Amino acid sequence: MKSSKDVVVSLKGVSKRYGDVTAVETLSLDVRRGELLCLLGPSGCGKTTTLRMVAGFVEPSDGAVVIDGQDMTREPPYRRDTGMVFQNYALFPHMTTAQNIAFGLENLKWAKADRDKRVLEMLTLVEMAHLSDRLPAQLSGGQQQRVALARALAMRPAVLLLDEPFSNLDAQLRVRMREEIRDVIRRVEITTIFVTHDQEEALMLSDRIGVMNKGKLEQVGTPADIYERPASRFVAQFVGWCSLLDGTVDTNGNFVSTRGLAFKSSLPPGAATAVIRPEHVKARDPDLADARPTYTAKVITSDYYGGISRLLLRVCGEQLMMEGHFPQDRRPRVGDEVAIALETAQIPTVPAAPP
Amino acid sequence: MRKDLIDRIMSVAGLVVRVCVYVMLALPAVIVIVSSFAADNVLSFPPTGFSLRWYKSAFANEEFMASLWTSTYIGILASCLSLGIGFAAAFAIDRYEFPGRAAFQALALSPLIVPGIVLGIGLLYLFAWTGLNQTLAGILFAHVVLAIPYVVRTVLASLSLFDRRLEEAAMNLRAPPWVVLRRVTFPMLLPGILSAAVFAFVVSFGNVTVTAFLTYDDTVTLPVRLFSYVQQSSGPFVAAISSIMIAVTLIVILVIEKLIGAERLA
Repeated sequence: MKSSKDVVVSLKGVSKRYGDVTAVETLSLDVRRGELLCLLGPSGCGKTTTLRMVAGFVEPSDGAVVIDGQDMTREPPYRRDTGMVFQNYALFPHMTTAQNIAFGLENLKWAKADRDKRVLEMLTLVEMAHLSDRLPAQLSGGQQQRVALARALAMRPAVLLLDEPFSNLDAQLRVRMREEIRDVIRRVEITTIFVTHDQEEALMLSDRIGVMNKGKLEQVGTPADIYERPASRFVAQFVGWCSLLDGTVDTNGNFVSTRGLAFKSSLPPGAATAVIRPEHVKARDPDLADARPTYTAKVITSDYYGGISRLLLRVCGEQLMMEGHFPQDRRPRVGDEVAIALETAQIPTVPAAPP
Repeated sequence: MRKDLIDRIMSVAGLVVRVCVYVMLALPAVIVIVSSFAADNVLSFPPTGFSLRWYKSAFANEEFMASLWTSTYIGILASCLSLGIGFAAAFAIDRYEFPGRAAFQALALSPLIVPGIVLGIGLLYLFAWTGLNQTLAGILFAHVVLAIPYVVRTVLASLSLFDRRLEEAAMNLRAPPWVVLRRVTFPMLLPGILSAAVFAFVVSFGNVTVTAFLTYDDTVTLPVRLFSYVQQSSGPFVAAISSIMIAVTLIVILVIEKLIGAERLA
């Protein structure tokens, strides 16, 4: 049997059914050593169920969960080498910060001296050493999260599991904690799986993203793979803004939309959908020649967001979004005409949705 | 302007209601305690004179002191038993789905709705039939039946507020189920268990109606003995015994709190 040291967690055809409802459907995924993998998807897509199957809180209906080369599918959570940070942190309210972090080590029967040393090490890692005697109720949300992280990492688990770790924080704190936690994870070099519905978070933090929808894993790839080469309509729409143009690919590899926009595509001939993102639509100087397809667009809505302005344009009967930096006085208004070009070389196409 | 006036009327009315409630709750006890220090033979409020003679008389009375001791140890035993049984029942109801769960919960709470006298007579017949008549075990059994609904109700409330994810977190941190119970679940349920213990003791210690059917020569609980004594005379002696009862109850509550509460801080 070939044991791959490179893969820390392997989900093999894992399913979970609750009566008639299928929460996760035949999911197979390998998590590589040292990587930060994100399970991304809307509420109810099965990402949290999948994470809990890795942790051992949910038993799969089918398939196997392999951790560090060993089949752990039927093992209870306390025999798995995982460390989990819960959405609400789940810190023990009746124990201090230091006691919370020491809890796992006590269960692993570490000697007191080693325990104390490790607890101090973890407290320093998350910059909470000065708050080691506080109770969770006396800590702020961000501080509680750091303690939860330290507690999970203290045992040096094979894989770190994070369940929507930032959803309880306000927007500003969220951005800051993302970077802090990413730094800690990189410094400790631990394999991590985290679950979120926030695509910005996923793009920014992950080495790889697994996009899930209705229990199925739709695409696994780097953030660039996911954003620039979406595998399906759902992935294209879930990650980033886009306009979807339906059309067909002919035998020459040309995509033609139902209303006449055309460019090259690598999809096999047949029905397909073009994914046009705001950065594919560029304003141009109508007096200069342009190699790209050019159009005259009509502005439908025009919104100022400070650094950028967003325009919704009508082009050839389709609606496209464009982003650009326009100082307030030079921003195109509703009803204006704008000369645009499409960066068609960058536009991905996805198979059309099944009927 | 009118809203202002209504607000003020409401807050004054609220204050009046609160004062009335506090007074109504405390007054009987206050009157009894104060009357117990009377110097003369008559139960009056306010009492004439101040004296500790009735307390001296009470502590000197062998029968009453024996009853005090009986009530106290029955109370403690009954609390422990009903805590054990009631906690197990509440835990099963909260954590497990089993056929007849709702009926089981109703059964556990049913002694609350049965009148004391009915319960007393029923138990009397049951004990005659099973040979538990005139035994300590019989009285204990009756007190446990009386106390279990309070324990189950209180512990169920505590369990429903308990965040199961704390147990998941503990298991994720390599704690097997018994360690989870010992180090996470129990410590967090302690306030609820504490309340349940207090309820159980108070119910047992103060019970008259049911216990009246089950007492026998050497084993007469204090409230039962007091009740029959009061039929004949109601001087300050009664007030003194009652004050002693109130004091014992308070002491037991304090002890429970120290015992269970102190462990919580460790």
